[in-house]
Amino acid sequence: MNVRVVALAVLAVLAAVPIWIGDRYMAHIAVMVCLMAILALSLNMMLRVGQLSLAQVVFMATGAYGSSLMSIGWGLPPALSVPIAGIGSGFLALVLGPLLLRIRGVYFVLLTFSLGQIVNLILQDMTGVTGGNSGLFGIPRFELFGMRLARPENFYPFALALLALSLAGAAALYRSRAGAVMQSIEQNEDLSRSLGVNVLAWRVGVFGLSGLLAGISGACYAHFIGFISPAAFTFAISVNILVINVIGGVASPLGPLIGAVLLVPLPEVLRDAQQYQLLVYGLLLIGFLAFFPSGITGFLFRKSAGTGLVGRSMKRSRQK
Amino acid sequence: MSDFIAQIVVNGVLSGMVYVLMALGFTLIFGIMRVVNFAHGELYMVGASVVLVLYGMNGVNYFLAVALAAVLTAGLGALIEIGLFRRFVKTELNGMIMSLGVAISLQAIALIVLGPAWQAVERPISGAMQLGGVVVPFDRLFVGGCALVIIVAFYLFLKRTRMGLAMQTVAQDAEIAALMGVGVSHVSALAFAIAAGLAAVAGGLMAPIYSVAPYMGEMPMLKAFVVVVLGGLGSIPGAVAGGLIIGLVESGFASTFNNTAALIASFAIVLVIVLVRPSGLFGKVT
Repeated sequence: MNVRVVALAVLAVLAAVPIWIGDRYMAHIAVMVCLMAILALSLNMMLRVGQLSLAQVVFMATGAYGSSLMSIGWGLPPALSVPIAGIGSGFLALVLGPLLLRIRGVYFVLLTFSLGQIVNLILQDMTGVTGGNSGLFGIPRFELFGMRLARPENFYPFALALLALSLAGAAALYRSRAGAVMQSIEQNEDLSRSLGVNVLAWRVGVFGLSGLLAGISGACYAHFIGFISPAAFTFAISVNILVINVIGGVASPLGPLIGAVLLVPLPEVLRDAQQYQLLVYGLLLIGFLAFFPSGITGFLFRKSAGTGLVGRSMKRSRQK
Repeated sequence: MSDFIAQIVVNGVLSGMVYVLMALGFTLIFGIMRVVNFAHGELYMVGASVVLVLYGMNGVNYFLAVALAAVLTAGLGALIEIGLFRRFVKTELNGMIMSLGVAISLQAIALIVLGPAWQAVERPISGAMQLGGVVVPFDRLFVGGCALVIIVAFYLFLKRTRMGLAMQTVAQDAEIAALMGVGVSHVSALAFAIAAGLAAVAGGLMAPIYSVAPYMGEMPMLKAFVVVVLGGLGSIPGAVAGGLIIGLVESGFASTFNNTAALIASFAIVLVIVLVRPSGLFGKVT
């Protein structure tokens, strides 16, 4: 199956769903699908350079808090504060990258996990700035071309466009020479190094890009919901976007999209059986890891996108 | 003032002993299988839940209930290892993601069976004694004593029995262990079972003190994680020393500042250790 055809089909369905249902609540879920897909894509980039980062939620949080504080405190319009917060988060990733990315494999996971915990605790503790556990209220809604995007059905086309842009960018990146270098780093780091690739610099660059995406996703989330608190930026988010990647498949930028489309609405589908929602989630993760480690896209495009990026890449990380 | 410090030390050592119980299993699994077991807190929760059901709801003798919790959870651990983790022996990140899947699923099952509320378990031991100006509750003392006995038994098992030695060999180098005739897969299953049993004992012992809920495993898992990174992933002496250190540091911080500050401090320690000396205090430098 052709990757582009599937991508367009999924995006078209995504675009049609809220119009078709015409329901405000559906539109809300659809927006969340888009924002989570962007966040999952930011993790996807890190997985493609062979590092499982549990710190994407940190950049999501800096984007959200940064943009909210700028628009509440300084009165910046969200159309300005979102890109600034996104770029700021990307820049933060660039600064932290050289320190964090020297560490590889399991230890990088431990490191990013701890970083996520610390940032969440600090958000809870700095009540003067972040409002602590009661969070930030009254975050201004988006305005674009003089139109207020307060209602989900108005915000949705914007979120979808942002997602399409991010996906197209990622797809172009993965297909380019830079993408080939990324793949070589993931598949054989030592060999890439021997060919003169500055592995650390490449990883830092990708980390910065992923920080930018995560920051923008977080900032949009803040202005969309209008309220943020540390409870929205926990380890659970890191797990969610990881599950989205595993189920969608890491080998294609479509993986995060398909994973998000399937998983984000799950709590709504299972609303009448809420206690089973978590179980479905866990069993899906176990089932995919055990039987389809390359995810749905790996299954769909066995020829075009290669198989088992997760399965293969994870083997490489065992380097003494 | 000296009473204040003595109280901090007593509290720190008593909670540190529980951390050691958790950390031993966590570090054992890492040493043998190179899996960071994010489901370790859920094994603790399973142990506590078994005690809740047997002792709290059905009146089984408390000590018997804790022992049964350990045995049942150990069996569950062996099944999980054989069914789910074994296939990822050489792919450590996949193993780690699998442990997340196991954690979510176990939590979900507890949610379905027991419901989301915190449920109190009647205290089998109550009262406290006064030593000078220091208060020592009997139930905490009992937990600390049990933990000490188990830790010593575990140490003797590792050092004095053939199976324990085999386990250490596998942790050092699985391939060479296999060449020496060690059944690596049996060792892995047993190690996972022991780790699960230790976590379940910790959960069962703490159940009357903290109550039981599906999410109760989160904090102990984080503590075990911090302890093990501090002591060195895979290092048994590191887990013991790390547990006591974290227990003491935390008790000091919690008495002088607050719990959030104590947690931030412990994760800051992890951050520094991983960046500067990933092998921890006692781990081998690789």
